Amino acid sequence: MIDRIEYQKYVSDNQPKSPMVRTLIAAFIVGGIICCIGEGIGDILKLIFKDMSEKDVATWESCIMIFLGSFFTALGLYDKLGHYAGGGSIIPITGFANSVTSPAMEYNREGVFFGICAKMFVIAGPIIVFGVTASFIVGFIGYFVV
Amino acid sequence: MRTFEIKSPVYIKSGFTVVGPKEGDGNFGDCFDIVLKDDLWCEKSYEKCESKMHRDAITGAIKKAGLQKEDIDILIGGDLLNELSSTSLAARNFPTAFLGLYNACSTFGESMIVGAMLISGGYANTVTCSTSSHFSSAERQYRFPLELGNQRPPTAQWTVTGAGCTVLSAEKPKLINEQVYDDDIIAIDDSMNLDPKDVEKYKKSIEKQKGLINKDKSNIIEDNFHKEMNDYIKTNSHCVKVTGGTIGRVIDLGIDDEANMGAAMAPAACETILTHFKESGRDPGYYDGIFTGDLGRFGKETLQYLLSKEGITLPDYYMDTGASYYTPEQKTFQGGSGAGCVNTAFNGYILKRMQRGELKRVLIVPTGALLNKDTPLQKETIPGIAHAFTLESENFL
Repeated sequence: MIDRIEYQKYVSDNQPKSPMVRTLIAAFIVGGIICCIGEGIGDILKLIFKDMSEKDVATWESCIMIFLGSFFTALGLYDKLGHYAGGGSIIPITGFANSVTSPAMEYNREGVFFGICAKMFVIAGPIIVFGVTASFIVGFIGYFVV
Repeated sequence: MRTFEIKSPVYIKSGFTVVGPKEGDGNFGDCFDIVLKDDLWCEKSYEKCESKMHRDAITGAIKKAGLQKEDIDILIGGDLLNELSSTSLAARNFPTAFLGLYNACSTFGESMIVGAMLISGGYANTVTCSTSSHFSSAERQYRFPLELGNQRPPTAQWTVTGAGCTVLSAEKPKLINEQVYDDDIIAIDDSMNLDPKDVEKYKKSIEKQKGLINKDKSNIIEDNFHKEMNDYIKTNSHCVKVTGGTIGRVIDLGIDDEANMGAAMAPAACETILTHFKESGRDPGYYDGIFTGDLGRFGKETLQYLLSKEGITLPDYYMDTGASYYTPEQKTFQGGSGAGCVNTAFNGYILKRMQRGELKRVLIVPTGALLNKDTPLQKETIPGIAHAFTLESENFL
């Protein structure tokens, strides 16, 4: 039988690889379009509510994008976009919404408590933990330095 | 010595398959007994659906063999879910002894070997060997939720939604027309004390599927396929017996990518095939059909490369059932995998060809990657296993 190291080299040299150029271009275009939609929503909000502060506009914009991400996940369309765009649809906030909504949909058969609620953050959990920890550290430093 | 020969004859009485819609559109589409229109089959979860497919594959095979539930001595089977849940839940519908097995995707090979040995040793007269897998339940167990928008790598395989069952017996099968009528399957449900509403739904779903069973497939990609494959009117001219096999060894060459299971399983398949030829004194030319389980397209190439290094060239008719399962347009990348893959391809395609006398001596090597969701996270590599069993067909007359 073949040597272990030689076999691993054979596999890594010969296994089919992702088409780099196509996936990068697809991710760039789709990610860009999602961000443009977000910016567009922000601009429309500014037009409708003229005296809304910049900060409130950004918050509402995020809320609407999260809603859209979850909505298209529920319709079963966001995963199809993800197969095509990869990182382009994972990185924006809609991708985060997708990573929370999809396990919630998947595990609703195990009931509300141990299904949806327990499993909702299976994928998004690490992001939330790191986000909270990072903001705590930055806030701590900011409090004493500034 | 891992290679054995079955001394007293063990015959295959019948084979029955239930597959999902995507499999029905694949290369073996015409060969299956039931093609479902949706992969939930009126159930509330994919696991329930898998169990129902498993149950109906066993019941269908028993009906097709012209037997009753009570005639079966032992149910042998397994699947990919935790604690063999879909097999165990299916087995509660039968008044029969049950042995649950697990060897990942090679469970079918294992169950055929165990079944044939039990019959040959005189410990049982009739056994069923069944396995099942379901794409959606396997995804949830091993990977991510279905709706998560991630990308599948090009080495990934697609778990087959399908269940199949083979009935092994010490008695020679009778020369019968092999069609199972839809009424038979509806009758199964009447005896299981189900809610009348469920039975209605079930009947309706069968009605819908009637049209699908004999669907014409003209654009078949692989050369190995024959269009009249699923001609139900033709009677079988040959009966098939299990003649022996080689029990596999767990081989680990340090592949740690759970999305590249073909590479993890290929060395095990290579080792089993080498051992089989060495211990039985045969060469690849002895068989007129050589099939591996679910190595996928890259795994198939890897196996051929590994064997060529050992000086063995597999003939042109060598086929990997996983690699040939789906058409390239179905975007499964490497092809099918799962416990239902080699099983449904065997019961749907290989067995029927053998029963028509198109294949005389066949070597089947189902392969499996032995991992669970946590072992790759704990930095374990993925071992593979492959079992081989051999079949021969003989004329009824």
